[in-house]
Amino acid sequence: MAQATLVKRGAYHDSVALLTLARALRGRAGVRDAAVVMGTPANRDLLAQAGLLTEEAGTATPNDLVIVVEAETPAVAQAAAAAAEPLLARSTPGGDGGRRPPPRTIAGAIRRMPEANLALISVPGAFAAAEARAALAAGLNVMLWSDNVSLRDEVALKHDALERGLLLMGPDCGTAYLAAVALGFANAVPSGRVGAVAASGTGLQEVATLLAGRGHGLSHAIGVGGRDMSEEVGGLMTLAALDLLGEDAATELIVVIGKPPAPAVGRRIRGKLATIGKPVVVCLLGRDVAAGTDGPVTTVATLEDAALAVDAALAGAPWRPRVFSVADVAGRISEARRGLAPGQSSVLGLYAGGTLAHESLLILEPLLGPVASNLTGGKGRHRVIDLGADEFTVGRAHPMLDPTTRVEMIGGAGEQADLAVLLLDVVLGHGAAADPAGDIAPALEAARGAARARGRGLAVVASVVGTARDPQGLAAQVARLEAAGAWVLPSNAQAARAAAGIAGGEAILAALLHPGAHA
Amino acid sequence: MTDPEARLVRVGAQLARRLEAAGGLRGRVHSVFARAVNVEWNDGSLLALHQPGPLLAPFAAAVDDTAVLRALRPGMPVVVEPRRLRAPGLVLSWERATRVDCSVARNPSLPAPARPGGHAPGLDSPGGAGARAALAAGIGRRDASRLIAGACALLGLGEGLTPAGDDCLVGALAVLHAVDPAPLTREPAVAGAIAEAAAARTTAIGREFVLHALAGRFSEPVLAVLRARSRTESARAAARLAALGATSGADTLGGMRLAWDALAA
Repeated sequence: MAQATLVKRGAYHDSVALLTLARALRGRAGVRDAAVVMGTPANRDLLAQAGLLTEEAGTATPNDLVIVVEAETPAVAQAAAAAAEPLLARSTPGGDGGRRPPPRTIAGAIRRMPEANLALISVPGAFAAAEARAALAAGLNVMLWSDNVSLRDEVALKHDALERGLLLMGPDCGTAYLAAVALGFANAVPSGRVGAVAASGTGLQEVATLLAGRGHGLSHAIGVGGRDMSEEVGGLMTLAALDLLGEDAATELIVVIGKPPAPAVGRRIRGKLATIGKPVVVCLLGRDVAAGTDGPVTTVATLEDAALAVDAALAGAPWRPRVFSVADVAGRISEARRGLAPGQSSVLGLYAGGTLAHESLLILEPLLGPVASNLTGGKGRHRVIDLGADEFTVGRAHPMLDPTTRVEMIGGAGEQADLAVLLLDVVLGHGAAADPAGDIAPALEAARGAARARGRGLAVVASVVGTARDPQGLAAQVARLEAAGAWVLPSNAQAARAAAGIAGGEAILAALLHPGAHA
Repeated sequence: MTDPEARLVRVGAQLARRLEAAGGLRGRVHSVFARAVNVEWNDGSLLALHQPGPLLAPFAAAVDDTAVLRALRPGMPVVVEPRRLRAPGLVLSWERATRVDCSVARNPSLPAPARPGGHAPGLDSPGGAGARAALAAGIGRRDASRLIAGACALLGLGEGLTPAGDDCLVGALAVLHAVDPAPLTREPAVAGAIAEAAAARTTAIGREFVLHALAGRFSEPVLAVLRARSRTESARAAARLAALGATSGADTLGGMRLAWDALAA
């Protein structure tokens, strides 16, 4: 075992940079351990306990940065220590080639870019409303990424925006596309003829990527925030967005994505859709959705059906809901079931995308019975967990960026005697992790190995929200999951149905393979 | 050509009073980060300059446009002039800055701060676990020597530029000041011993947080948790605090809960 040490005297880097560096060093091939800490007496004790207190590290003072790498060979240890400096330099102002840092205020941004017409606001919720008001007052449309904005502020901001003829997208608006510019968590999709109004980030991403896969692009996709269709907000921005898309020459068809509106709001939206003069596909994910076409409006029950209905409408063809699009589903499900031991019959859905989790819940419950979930507070033998919910993101990044929580939960899956299927989403695109499939693949392999060691099987069913043009590459991410033993379906809805088929047995399989019997 | 001028838009009230009374005070740029700059005054105390929004330290001031701070480099001189700070290539005016009271008010009925989802691994080391246990026992049993031992063992411990142990200690001190400062005030030696240890056992930035915490001054995200009047308000403030930094916010929140539990027991 070899060790290399770097002591940087009086070197100050922020805590995020130090933790990122430690993680990067530990991830290098041949590195057994790495510590990146300030040289305080307590930390020197910690290094000693870990066997990492080298002679040089022992000379550090509290204001010195200490980097110690332990590796299989001296060359690997030295190379890792040498790599630390450039990695740190990237996090240091001036270490980025002189690029100007982003402005920190609305006023500063306008001074730098007077022609700007939109502000993306991502500050703690308590301060977000004030920033949004400032942006609206300056004549900017607003994408309000922040959450924890009060309902009262949301209503006031949306009225303010409408009076000024501006958009207020959000709060908690994670994804939007305006004139082919992707904002927030967004996939690389082509521009095209479809306009979207979305109360959901990952729901919009799923529809946009499925449309891209069928050769269709977006004109604009306007996020309205998850509460816009509530009674209190009254669908203010949904109605405004529909007006804009109705008048937009580039938009031939409109898709509306979200959850069921308050009754009065639903009536107002239906009234608008009837007069908008363009075909509309409505995907409001809820229980007992009556799918079908009524004049220019097609109502669908899943995000995939939304994409298919748009595709059919643009082709002038009739639309029918689809259960599966992959070959030999029955064979794959039977094969997966043969690997299970008696008693293995439950599903565990671990989701990064909240709307995708919600959609799976709606598909699984009619097929398998009650599903426990943090989305509903419901209880049941099956579980669907939205890992992007507040209780999982306190003190850490969203699971689309930080896989830690999901990896830990996958790690425990191999130990659960009744678990038949792990159901997962993987979301690609700008803003998402660099290799989300690679982040969870080792944990999937380990969980399947742990189950095998106990004489059980463990099916892994997944879907990937992405396109070939996404930075992560759709094909490479699918291949990584498949190499880890996952069955990757073309959509979240199909993945949820496949999971139900594997867990539920012959009766569920039969119901699934008779289109129209279930969602 | 005149130097670019930016505005301090938010300043701690105590810091503002000090700047106003301290014409001619001199210092140097201590450290420069992507989103903040620290200035070290000749007496060893610090001033943190950061982006607009809540003050992230009781010794901080928020600047309206941090792009102007990019001209600063460690070691550059900084001087306090009437109503402004001057550094080479930069003038910062605080005349119209909002003064923020960063001192903690008593809140004996403080709702239990939420437990953070995680914390820095260093706090789980044998030394970290022992230090937290000693601090909790010292608070719970009103045992000054154990409180001092736990606090001093946390100083400088763990990950981060403000080591995780410092964050945890600051959180605990915040709850003590708000709910029941007796463990700190009954034995005047307690604060003195911790302050003396902080001078030697932790980083300059960690020391500054601890010294202000001993005096009852905290960042706005911490104060928001302390001022919560309901569990909902507390949970929201805790979530915002826990989201700060890599684990700094979560470690601070963990210290707050540690002290709250110890006092409740």
